Amino acid sequence: MAELANIPWNLILPILGLQLILMIVALIDLIRNQRTNGPFIMWIFIILLLNLVGPILYFIFGRRQA
Amino acid sequence: MKGFSVLLHKEWREQVRNFKLLWIPLVFIIFGIIEPVTNHFLPQIMKSVGNMPDGMDFPWPEFAPKEILVSLMGQYQSIGLLIIVLAFMGAISSERKNGTATLLYVRPISYASYFLSKWTMINILVLASVWVGFLAGWYYTAQLFGSIPAADVFAFLAAYSLWIIFVVSIVLALSAWLPTGGVAALGLFLTLIMAILDSVIGAYWTVTPWKISTYASYILMGSMDYPTFWKAAGLTVFLIILLVLFGSYMSGRNAAKTTV
Repeated sequence: MAELANIPWNLILPILGLQLILMIVALIDLIRNQRTNGPFIMWIFIILLLNLVGPILYFIFGRRQA
Repeated sequence: MKGFSVLLHKEWREQVRNFKLLWIPLVFIIFGIIEPVTNHFLPQIMKSVGNMPDGMDFPWPEFAPKEILVSLMGQYQSIGLLIIVLAFMGAISSERKNGTATLLYVRPISYASYFLSKWTMINILVLASVWVGFLAGWYYTAQLFGSIPAADVFAFLAAYSLWIIFVVSIVLALSAWLPTGGVAALGLFLTLIMAILDSVIGAYWTVTPWKISTYASYILMGSMDYPTFWKAAGLTVFLIILLVLFGSYMSGRNAAKTTV
């Protein structure tokens, strides 16, 4: 736990927060839209598991522009 | 310019609805923050995950604050350009493919205002993202490394913006001309690959749009030879105008290829 306290959270938190916002926006859009290029479940895992890159990939390739 | 403001409004709504207005600035801000933070903690990161032998003393380079912004620009030159090209490759071509264009082309709009409305809106979005990203990076650099004079940063941003406008013009002109796949291939070649090629083999050719980003970093460092920069900038503006004209012409000519 001492190592956790040593991490400069005030520097890291904004990055984590922004990544979380990006992830949530991608998930909301995915669930509202339902239609994707490729399997729906696959995109949920991509967004959740690939930090930062996942939501970008979803917005560029997964989202079906209607 | 019939219906330009209406079309601009349509473009704005499209960027809001497909979340580009949100995610593109967010991604640029995240990169803008990550760059100074990782550079600042590089010695500690290497100590914990770098698998360095005990007792080895690696002299870490001391980064000047301006170098951090230049390396952030390097990130934008690879990942940023990739995102810009891929996010907007379908701006016109996929409208033709999925039939949205049918709804537009049956109305008496001019193709120039159609193309320009897209060009304006996408430029505003991308430039705002790049600026916000650099401002975030600038703030973190000031906190972690030391301050950079505002005049230098804004001169740098102005020069870099010209390059970004050039990139957006290339993507949109290609999108008016080719199907989406072709736009991605040729667009990435003309921006990412050409910028690398130009820096590798074009060392003696100073007046090219692909050197604008390098010149922007020279401006930041204060070592720019301004006559060369203005020549390159003039050529870039000229090429941007040509690309816009080509794009407007092509979106008219390809109107018949629209899926009904």
